[in-house]
Amino acid sequence: MKPLILQGHERSITQIKYNREGDLLFSASKDNKPNVWYSLNGERLGSFNGHQGAIWCIDVDWTTTKCMTGAGDNTCKIWDCETGKETGNIPTASSVRTCMFSYSANMAVYTTDKAMKQPCEIFIIDVRTIDDSFSRQEPILRIPISGSRVSSILWDNLDESLITGHENGEIIQWDLKTGKKINSIKEHDQLINDMQWNKDCTMFITASKDHTAKLFDAETLMLLKTYKTERPVNSAAISPIAEHVVLGGGQEAMEVTTTSSRAGKFDSRFFHLVFEEEFARVKGHFGPINSVCFHPDGKSYASGGEDGFVRVHSFDSSYFEYNFDY
Amino acid sequence: MPAAAVKSSWADEVELEDGALPPSTEVFKNGLKIFTEYKVDEDQKKSKIVRTYRVEKRLVSKSIALRKAWKKFGESAYDKPGPNPATTIVGEDVYIQFISSKEEDNKPDDDGLDKLKALGDKNVVKCRNCGGDHWTSKCPWKDTVLAKMPDDKKPATGGGPSADGNKMGGSKYVPPSMRDGAAATDGSSMSRRDDNYSAIRIANLSDSTTETDLEELVKPFGPIHKLYLAKDKLTGLCRGFAYIHFKFKNDAAKAIARLNGHGYDHLILSVDWSKPMNNQ
Repeated sequence: MKPLILQGHERSITQIKYNREGDLLFSASKDNKPNVWYSLNGERLGSFNGHQGAIWCIDVDWTTTKCMTGAGDNTCKIWDCETGKETGNIPTASSVRTCMFSYSANMAVYTTDKAMKQPCEIFIIDVRTIDDSFSRQEPILRIPISGSRVSSILWDNLDESLITGHENGEIIQWDLKTGKKINSIKEHDQLINDMQWNKDCTMFITASKDHTAKLFDAETLMLLKTYKTERPVNSAAISPIAEHVVLGGGQEAMEVTTTSSRAGKFDSRFFHLVFEEEFARVKGHFGPINSVCFHPDGKSYASGGEDGFVRVHSFDSSYFEYNFDY
Repeated sequence: MPAAAVKSSWADEVELEDGALPPSTEVFKNGLKIFTEYKVDEDQKKSKIVRTYRVEKRLVSKSIALRKAWKKFGESAYDKPGPNPATTIVGEDVYIQFISSKEEDNKPDDDGLDKLKALGDKNVVKCRNCGGDHWTSKCPWKDTVLAKMPDDKKPATGGGPSADGNKMGGSKYVPPSMRDGAAATDGSSMSRRDDNYSAIRIANLSDSTTETDLEELVKPFGPIHKLYLAKDKLTGLCRGFAYIHFKFKNDAAKAIARLNGHGYDHLILSVDWSKPMNNQ
């Protein structure tokens, strides 16, 4: 397969996401301009100009009208997908690490870092109407986090609870009506960099610096499967059509210069969802992969790396014909 | 002025290059967009860049079609329709590397083990004195007269094992060229091919042949290690030949014997051993 290489960023990619239909691919990087691309031919639709710091997170609502970014310049911004204009701006006390629209996109969540004497905090906001008063609007709910900071977040599909992944490897489920913890587990030893749903939001996969990715049941947070590698895992995604997961990672960015790219193991690695066994690899990045995601039709996937490139791979027939022997 | 782009001879070209660079052109030809551009690079050398795009029409849902018509914004506001080569490039071919599952790796070992086990029941151990299945040192006839007359025994029992060895490749080493299966082929094919797999080349395939067709065609002969069908880059149609790597040489020989001259899809196939690339 010939991947499409998207070179719209000057610094490392932090997160990439497809919209619901998968025709657009949103990419955020440590430079201050998130990009949006047509996933089919790699054409850039545009960039969202206005941030002044590294973008840590990006999300798009299910109608692909609103896009949300959180950045190191202490703001969380809402953008209009069609025109690329900034429609809403929320100033925060510290940098915004994670953000996500709820399933209905009536609400959104963002979390701030524990920095500059500010605690780590979860904010739930109403995003139904975005106008001039949006930046002054009080959040619906604020949950201060006393312990380890939030490093990844997921909404459930009923807009009733939140799942947060933390720097110390903890996973906490929050009830939105009360703002209280429902459940918490600690199956990882280190930072959880990414969490992604499966297609029907019954399971989610976590990617952690402790060299593993784990599959959990969304309702009970029960550990279902563990995918072991020998490098930190930065991102993991579940295929919507096959029982496959893809893991992206590699050694830490700060250690990259001291080893050759071959030793770094910067491949996307495909594991069987059930048997936890690696069955395929795809090479290409020059640095660790920071974010991977499957196209919603499952026929292609994209990866964004520390090297600043986004690579969109459309699987060829050998992938679909491959049968896992068991 | 598209006519300027059509140059009749190199002489005209030189004259043209004295002045300004020719304008870039865009030609649409049977579903392809050919974009030609002239540039002066850092070394003051003029270069011609030809990019070929395939223009495709796809039926998509309404919302996607609507989004496709959105105007570009931000950094891309001034980009023309279609991918901008500054931000989008098509990467080199990468392959998804499948890691063969453990079971496949184990299979040959198991087979070998089974063979050994089967042999073990018969005669792994053979007495040098009497030819019985026990160690020479444990021979019951060691100190008797029988031990001193191996010449009598050998023609009787010694003939047996050697004949057996030819039949089932058992206890005695038999060079590959002397084995049953290889007898059909001549000695000249004792090249590096023999080390791994047996490749055959099928030529004169029709252009509508697909990999699945090919697989169906050759599968009856035996397990296949690899199958390569040459395809046209643009159209994806078969280019008329294919290489099949069989796991076993016997199967490959059988396939050649059976398929050479076989009528397939209105054409007559020509099948032979695949020649190594650096064939002298």
